[in-house]
Amino acid sequence: MAHSATAAAETKVWGGGRSPFNVSYGKMMMWFFLLSDAFTFGAFLISYGTTRFFSAVWPDPNHVFHAFPFMGHANLPLLFVSLMTFILIMSSVTMVLAVHAGHYGDRKGVIKWLLFTIIGGICFLSCQAWEWTHLHHQGAWWGSFTDSSAPLSGIEQFFNMKDPRVTGPLAAHGMQATHDFYNYFFTITGFHGAHVASGVVLLCLVLINSINGTYDRRGHYEMVEKIGLYWHFVDLVWVFVFTCFYLL
Amino acid sequence: MSQHHHTENNIQHLYEGDQSKLYSGVMQHHTDISSAESRKQVGRIWKVFWILLAVTIVEVILGMFFSYSIPKGFLNSMFLLLTLFKAGYIVSVFMHLGDEVKSFLITVLIPLTLFIWFIIAFLADGGFWLHMNSTAPMR
Repeated sequence: MAHSATAAAETKVWGGGRSPFNVSYGKMMMWFFLLSDAFTFGAFLISYGTTRFFSAVWPDPNHVFHAFPFMGHANLPLLFVSLMTFILIMSSVTMVLAVHAGHYGDRKGVIKWLLFTIIGGICFLSCQAWEWTHLHHQGAWWGSFTDSSAPLSGIEQFFNMKDPRVTGPLAAHGMQATHDFYNYFFTITGFHGAHVASGVVLLCLVLINSINGTYDRRGHYEMVEKIGLYWHFVDLVWVFVFTCFYLL
Repeated sequence: MSQHHHTENNIQHLYEGDQSKLYSGVMQHHTDISSAESRKQVGRIWKVFWILLAVTIVEVILGMFFSYSIPKGFLNSMFLLLTLFKAGYIVSVFMHLGDEVKSFLITVLIPLTLFIWFIIAFLADGGFWLHMNSTAPMR
């Protein structure tokens, strides 16, 4: 500290001694990490969009995502993914409440809200596991739908077959579009799911530290805030994934 | 923010780990979780939750019932606007970016404006490829 303050005084630029951004080094670096992660996710989603724009047909989300656990063949488009979105928003609220409790040094509050957040994260991951399994049963996986001579009946369930603009080019382009769609779907939701899973691990570590009183001894709960930033970012990415894959 | 309690001279003696103390709020003497100030903040968090929930429900209703009746271009612009609206609330309230100093806010947000160019350039390229593929003479 003393060194940087001296150096700053010599160059007469910035007084030093305190953060010009009024945030600690760790929190600022978490923000910059999240910024770089935003570019990774952004690159994924934009390349998904590019592929979609150069495809003559594209699977219809209302036909791809219409199942719900234990509801058999009932046609419930978007309902399950809405539930997943709700779970993630809810866990974001419990996370920000944990951060809030941390600001006030309220250890019990931090522990309670962190537990709820971890449960929310695990629920979300379970939902995603169910969704992936369900799609896999329909024949979808990385590298599926590569055989352009396979009968169209295998992919018709993913398209809006009432629209002549879809049924026209389906024979020529449907297989490639389905293949692209699922490669992107599993890669992007998988990358997001990996973020959620690492988030749950980080939250568990923070929870153990909170229970052990590590942050009370340290004098502040900033670690909860930093992991909180990461957790909210994961929720933020889901907002965009939800729009790109399920709505647009 | 914690200037009232610490002179510049005091701060010089803090080591890196202690620096976090300065900015983590504990030195502002936030101690009473059930104080009016704390409850006001919690109320704000729940208000944002209800906004996010309501926007998501609107999106799902639009997607479920209107995806074939409303013109696709208009519907997609609605989805994108609502998405940015939600993102704004998450970043400014849940991630507290709205409470940070302005220079930090700008530092984080300026690189993201590159996305405007990325999206326009790449989607236009994708659209052009489709146009070329569907208009090029068969070889």
